[in-house]
Amino acid sequence: MSNSSSKIGRWIAAGLAIAVLLAVFYNVAVDNMPKGEVRQVEGYTPWDKETLKVAETIPIQNGGRIKPLSTYAGFTMLGMHGARSMEISGSDGKSVKIKPTEWLMDTLFRPQLAAKQPTFRVDNSSILEAIGVKTRGKRDRYSYADIEPARDKLNKLAATYKAIEKDKRDPAQQQTIALAANLSEYESLLWYFSFARSGVLLVASEEKGAVDKRAEISDVMVTVPEILKQVAAQEARGEKMGAFQQGLLQQIFDVANYAYNGLFILPPADANQDIWLSAGVSIMKPITDPKKDPTLAIEDVKSLETVVRSAYGNEASFRTNLISLRDNLAKRAEARGEYRHIKMEASFYRMDWFLNALACFIFGTLTALAMWTVGKGTAGRILAWCTFASTATGLGLCIIAIVQRCIIMQRPPVGNLYDTIIFIAATVVLISLLIEWMTRRRFALGIAPILGTLLIILSRRFELGDAKDYMDPLIAVLDSNYWLTTHVLTITLGYAAGLLSAFLAFIYLLMRGLGLDNGDRDIRRSLTRAVYGMICFTLFLALVGTVLGGIWANDSWGRFWGWDPKENGALLIVLWTLAILHGRLGGYIKEWGLHFAAVFTAAVVTFSWWHVNFLNTGLHNYGFTAGKTTIWMFYGLIVLILCFGLIAKTVEGRNKNRAVLE
Amino acid sequence: MEPADKSLAKAPRSLPGKVFDLLSGFGLATITLILLGLLTLFATLEQVEHGLYPTINKYFSTDWKSIIILPDFEFLRINDKLVPIPVPGGYWLCAILLVNLILGGMIRIRKGWQHYGNLISHFGIIFLLVGAGVTFHYSERGNMAINEGESSNVAVDYLEYVVEVAEIKAGKPDKIHVIRGKDIANLEGEKRRKFRFPELPFDLELTAYMNDCVPVSSTERAPDQNQYIADGYFLMEKPKLAKAEPAESYTAGCYARILPHGGAKSAPFILAGASFQPFTYRVGERVFTVDMHKRLWVMPFTVKLDEFTAAFHPGTTMASKFVSKVTRSENGGDAKATIQMNEPMRYEGLTFFQASYGPIGAGPGQKMFSIFEIVKNPADQWPKYSLIIVAIGMAVTFLIKLGSFIVGGSHKKSHV
Repeated sequence: MSNSSSKIGRWIAAGLAIAVLLAVFYNVAVDNMPKGEVRQVEGYTPWDKETLKVAETIPIQNGGRIKPLSTYAGFTMLGMHGARSMEISGSDGKSVKIKPTEWLMDTLFRPQLAAKQPTFRVDNSSILEAIGVKTRGKRDRYSYADIEPARDKLNKLAATYKAIEKDKRDPAQQQTIALAANLSEYESLLWYFSFARSGVLLVASEEKGAVDKRAEISDVMVTVPEILKQVAAQEARGEKMGAFQQGLLQQIFDVANYAYNGLFILPPADANQDIWLSAGVSIMKPITDPKKDPTLAIEDVKSLETVVRSAYGNEASFRTNLISLRDNLAKRAEARGEYRHIKMEASFYRMDWFLNALACFIFGTLTALAMWTVGKGTAGRILAWCTFASTATGLGLCIIAIVQRCIIMQRPPVGNLYDTIIFIAATVVLISLLIEWMTRRRFALGIAPILGTLLIILSRRFELGDAKDYMDPLIAVLDSNYWLTTHVLTITLGYAAGLLSAFLAFIYLLMRGLGLDNGDRDIRRSLTRAVYGMICFTLFLALVGTVLGGIWANDSWGRFWGWDPKENGALLIVLWTLAILHGRLGGYIKEWGLHFAAVFTAAVVTFSWWHVNFLNTGLHNYGFTAGKTTIWMFYGLIVLILCFGLIAKTVEGRNKNRAVLE
Repeated sequence: MEPADKSLAKAPRSLPGKVFDLLSGFGLATITLILLGLLTLFATLEQVEHGLYPTINKYFSTDWKSIIILPDFEFLRINDKLVPIPVPGGYWLCAILLVNLILGGMIRIRKGWQHYGNLISHFGIIFLLVGAGVTFHYSERGNMAINEGESSNVAVDYLEYVVEVAEIKAGKPDKIHVIRGKDIANLEGEKRRKFRFPELPFDLELTAYMNDCVPVSSTERAPDQNQYIADGYFLMEKPKLAKAEPAESYTAGCYARILPHGGAKSAPFILAGASFQPFTYRVGERVFTVDMHKRLWVMPFTVKLDEFTAAFHPGTTMASKFVSKVTRSENGGDAKATIQMNEPMRYEGLTFFQASYGPIGAGPGQKMFSIFEIVKNPADQWPKYSLIIVAIGMAVTFLIKLGSFIVGGSHKKSHV
């Protein structure tokens, strides 16, 4: 292979790689960018950064744990809006980016502005057409004000679709149900503080000169014991409840109802009670729990009223009240031992480690492609150092993020599918760098940021699709740090090793197929050794992880092996890698064969890691369906790579034969 | 395993030698591993449509007929017609792998310090496979439900249906004669078997066994497969649901006849797991019952459920803990124990797991019950031992390989 053809090959490969990366980025961008024109929200002014910092660290109970308000805001916004940021145009026509905490603050404290924000992502406009809402493009974002007039129709339609078996619903029906659920959740936040805004109307008596008055709900709560006493006395006398009392109690029920769900923000006084209270529950306390002292409930409601009322004045005084509320709640949470990691978690999301890591990996990817393209020389060396620096920085950021998550969750790093992606991303990059340290060939250095980029993008896509807080506690059977550390980490490392061996083999096929290696046997041998080593490593981890999983299952479910799809998937990796190693030892597969088999390992790992989750059966079933097409596309890509390799092998064989004949 | 010595390979081999080479070779190992992989994949896909239990029974049957099986799932059907892809049965493949491991991985393998790791790993895998065989053939599984404050020493088998024949004396069954599931489960269709009871005045004939069926009144529905109508009822196979039901909820059934000693056969009658009452037969003043139900399994000790607690993550319906506090009584002595998720109670070869509880959504103060899964498996801890052996073996092998990779590694040229 001549040097010039090798150079052309390099440029072709670099061009292809850039095209693939651009396609991935375009896909992600198209999916995340707001559609249509940017909405104008008259009178909108952004919150002060200091105010947001205070709001972020307000503790709330959600998903079975205590978390900062910013975490709750992030996942709620992600679920409704399909992104963690929203672009609107403010009163002066300037573009404003609204982040989750700001969005939630608007929803809670400025509902009149929030209702106009394009909160709801709708991927299929036919859903809105069906309920008579004027639509724009097929995919767009809509405000509460846009959808609210057709709210009843939406709920009716969603109820009809819910009656259909989940497996038989079409995507539009599924999205209708999701939109109705989102709207209902949004309303529970939008009207949460209605009690503080409207108060209670004290209807005047019919005596002359009397006028209707408005009273704070907290003041009315003070009188509830007396009202209940009067009602009891009336009942004892066989009289009907007075219209005034009846009206008052009805109003209390109504405002409490609006604030019953949404935010569980108030730590209970009783240390043995683990469920926090919403404002609605506190408002109802004097009625539902008349024997207990209502002082704390009244104080809580009063402090909430103070904060909400002050939101209509200047922001500094609002902030002062918010700080006072936050400090009070934080102190009580701290006394219960539930505020330990709130600040760290708030900072975790503020720092957005994974996004920063992604930026590093993208930069590393570009420098890696340039490094491979220019080949040896000073430029190549500089680019190699740039690739290493950015990749190592990205890896460092991933490690910080994973360690912080472990501290916050108080468990090992992997407990769910999202955790596996970020853990595998970090592991793959780390192992690649270690291989680079051992081989110094720059192939492992180059693939490290590429894999990092792809996997972090995958994690973000997964998070977006599910909009679920994966730091929430785990189900009882998974509540074992011992097994999460041993079995789950080992098997996840096995996935990482399998994927890396496949990617290394892909690089081999690409280099040899396009003649990028100039026929250098040393490089080929080095790559082959690395792939062989990774296959051994995959086998070790997958086998140990699988048997550990069996031992865990034996302790949890009473059987070592249950033919559960997830267990079978892990066994497939073991059997496949064993077959590769025995085939190699027996001489049935040689260099090309080893790389073909290693590339196919990616399909086996994908089946085990992802595909089995879609089978909707077994104890490891996650029950989700989105993304199945992507898996088939990935299998297709593997087939394409194998076909490319086979063609390359055939061409090389023919060239060799021709050379011998000539 | 390592390739045989070259000089040996060149020497003419006797037939036993050739058979040995074949059975201990890398070729057989590679093919067996690939076939086992395919089988695992097919079984995974097939269980989605046909349920776990029937799939595993099909793929791992010890029956000679199951040496070759035909996988059947969505991807293998074109226009609703199955594309036949014959593959060897899993049980027999595992047996071949075991032979290959012993002959190739233990006997033929090249010996020497570099290969000790492989030798140890192979031994670990052999141990694991033998353990799997022991579990497959000798383990028993059942469940026991106990209310708070109550005791039990009887477990109910998960799958095995038995036929019990007993004489009723003073309102209670006297000596119970049990016909085990393995003796009736193969009596499908026209097959019948006579069970002799020399102590009783009759024998019993069983036929037309179905592993998941219900008795249906012939006045409500006509037999769909020309089934025999006994006393106005016939046995109908349960219709298949879109999502296959678990094998634990199968209800077996068969037809039976009483064969009085020296008398004429009785009319056929139905024995069904789904029936609430046993069949009653009188001989003069003596009363006998014939019943079909899941096998009852008497424990060597009694378990009392002192307290059951189900805890949930606050504000959710997601369980965080199920804990059963029990008292184990045996030979007049008591011992306290706690059974919870991931922490079973192991005692006298039996293991009690926390499996379920009820009533779901019980209010405060309401009496709870706990359901334990009970397993008797002589190879219970063997996987743990084999893991230790395999891990040591593989670690030795791969560390040697890693060492040689680093030492012999080529970091001479630094470009691609």
